[in-house]
Amino acid sequence: MSKVLIISQLTNSCREIFEEIKKNEIECMLSEQNPDNILLQVEQYCPDIVLIDTDFENCEIITKQVRTKTMPQNVQVLLLLEKDKNIDFLNFADGYISTPVCKNILIHTINSHIKIKKSLEQLGENNRELARSLYQLNVLYNTSSQFAGTLDKDKLYNIMLEALEKTLSFDISCALVFSATGNNKIFINSLCEPTESLKEALSLRVALEYKNIFENQPLPYKTNLEGIEIIQNVKPSHIQNIFDLRALNYDSLFAPIKVGDHFFGVIELFRNIPFTKEDVTCFQTIVHQVALPLRSATLYEEIKNTNVKLEKLERLKSDFVSIVSHELRTPLTPINNSLEIVLSGQAGEISDDAKNFINMAKRNVSRLSGIIEDLLDLSRVQTGKLDYKYKITSLTPSLELIQKTFEQVASEKNINVTLNIQDNLPDVYADSHRIEQIISNLVTNALKFTPKGGKIEISANVVNDSEIDKNLLVMPICKPSGNYIKVSVKDTGIGIKKEDIPKIFEKFSQIENSLTRNIGGVGLGLSITKQLLDAHLGAITVSSKENEGSDFSFYIPLVDKQKMFIMDANHAFSSSDETGILHIRENSPCNFIEKISQDNLIKLTKKSKEFKSDKDYYALLPETPLSALDFMEKTILDEFKKPQWQNCDIVLKKAHSKADGKELSKIIEKINI
Amino acid sequence: MKKILIVDDEKDIVETLAFMLKTKGFECICAYDGEEGLKLAKECSPDLIILDVMMPKINGYKICRLLKYDSKYKNIPIIMVTARSQEEDKVIGEETGANEYITKPFEFSDIIEAINRYI
Repeated sequence: MSKVLIISQLTNSCREIFEEIKKNEIECMLSEQNPDNILLQVEQYCPDIVLIDTDFENCEIITKQVRTKTMPQNVQVLLLLEKDKNIDFLNFADGYISTPVCKNILIHTINSHIKIKKSLEQLGENNRELARSLYQLNVLYNTSSQFAGTLDKDKLYNIMLEALEKTLSFDISCALVFSATGNNKIFINSLCEPTESLKEALSLRVALEYKNIFENQPLPYKTNLEGIEIIQNVKPSHIQNIFDLRALNYDSLFAPIKVGDHFFGVIELFRNIPFTKEDVTCFQTIVHQVALPLRSATLYEEIKNTNVKLEKLERLKSDFVSIVSHELRTPLTPINNSLEIVLSGQAGEISDDAKNFINMAKRNVSRLSGIIEDLLDLSRVQTGKLDYKYKITSLTPSLELIQKTFEQVASEKNINVTLNIQDNLPDVYADSHRIEQIISNLVTNALKFTPKGGKIEISANVVNDSEIDKNLLVMPICKPSGNYIKVSVKDTGIGIKKEDIPKIFEKFSQIENSLTRNIGGVGLGLSITKQLLDAHLGAITVSSKENEGSDFSFYIPLVDKQKMFIMDANHAFSSSDETGILHIRENSPCNFIEKISQDNLIKLTKKSKEFKSDKDYYALLPETPLSALDFMEKTILDEFKKPQWQNCDIVLKKAHSKADGKELSKIIEKINI
Repeated sequence: MKKILIVDDEKDIVETLAFMLKTKGFECICAYDGEEGLKLAKECSPDLIILDVMMPKINGYKICRLLKYDSKYKNIPIIMVTARSQEEDKVIGEETGANEYITKPFEFSDIIEAINRYI
């Protein structure tokens, strides 16, 4: 029922008004006589309308005070105003009723103002809700961007709880979350410390609700509450109070945390103040929002675990190969030694037949040890443990050595091996031992697959990278660099089907391929060859015709100017025969780069001068590691600005640093590269 | 007659190596584990030591280091022989001060060449 408070002297007309209002089922009260108590009365009575008689003493002050006091509650202030009387505080009231009063107008006016008051209240309420929704939306927006920023499950749950707290100001929340690894958790967030029994009750409740979701269906996760990790979070400012079991009577909201078939857990909120429809929507939105990144996080976790397992397996495999090779080598040593002793005749005279057989055994020992060597090489290549000794070198001696090595085996098979090297074959930057390994692998294969009376041609010449038939490349050239030395091994063997060519570069290719199995070997040679060429920034092409022969050609990039010398990370400034090029490799250890102090650069300069009398030395700074940037700026760049480097060409392949890139490109401009 | 100490836990390797070296006119002393090897190295003052890496009790690297940092023995040339041809072994071998490094299985000619470089 609406309430009206009349502030007036107790005149007859006042009583009449009072009675009339009461008759219309509106609660009404006449004010205190003492003006000092009027405000207090207004406060206690909480009227919807205050009716002030302007004949009343101090009515202006009272009107103004009542107005100020009741403004927030939208209380309507009406004045009883004698007809034609003019007052200057009319704008402090919401309306007036002329006296003498017409009863109809009085009731109508009062009813209208009651309506106005109610509408204003509704408007205020609507405004507040709007503001809250706006706030919730804002939080939701922020939360979704926070969700996108992490794949850590615990962080995601915390973001969700924080968002729920901000938007719904719950008293207690309890979330039961599952993990594929069985690491289930309960998060309890509350404004005050919950009692132990409440925590237990909450845990049981969410567990039960979880089971209810999957009524008559198998549960996606087991619910074993024993020993489950409970993560409790209490707002520090409220710690003086506690929540007990009565909190379970609060209004509550419950939702599963899931997306599609992916189920992550359940959450329940409790709040003393009942939740509104908007709260429910907001709650569901946030809980649904967290499920999406949780799914990504789960997938990410799975991928990560699989990766770790794979890496471990890969390591195990290469360790295994390395250990097995070692174990195989040890017994080979005394076998080889014994054969040598017998063969030498030191252990007594042996017949020619015996000699032949011992030689056969010895040949096979070295073949076996070659296979083991291959296995070891492969595992070392894969784990990056292979040690390359790069230097400027000619391929001619390597080629001649290989031809000589295979002379005997070839003649046994009546195969003619020819070697054709271009005059003045330029030098390359390579590990000659590894290059010999490559050539030897190719020649071994050619011998293996060429029938008796066939021909093997080994040749070496310079080609431009435009002359390399890209269709025949087994692997892409990683950095085309102009000119290459091409070494080709051509045979008149059985040939390879086109579709089989990529396969032969895979590990153990011959083991898988039953057709060639009777030829012997495990098929590691080409796999190693490919990796070795990769390390030399080289390439390999294969062209072959079945029953006609194959042509395996590999390419090693030429050093642009032969004056170039390259300091390899392992031999920085220590080896005496190499200087001129400062070669910083991408994987060079940091301490190597730190080692290139100014002193060393000067040393380098001097060495270059010893080597070449007039000018032209080069600094090669490819793929500078980020860790070296500070150093690069301070030392190398400053150093290169000095006059003694005037004639130095800097070949910059790639600089990661912005500052460096600028500085260096200036220098490069200056020296016209 | 030059004295060579062979230290290797592989008995067969020691035996064949000793046999061959004797035919080349060397006197051979044999040890079958690290401890014995170290003891003999100090007692017999050999002209050269052929040392395996992976051995029970004391490994070859340790023996090498112990001898090379002792002024009394540091001048005895040491040839390391190992089946582990990993790069890091090479590095450790150099740091221990070994004079040569030979990988198993080896040819006698490699060993003889190495020995001739030092005695």
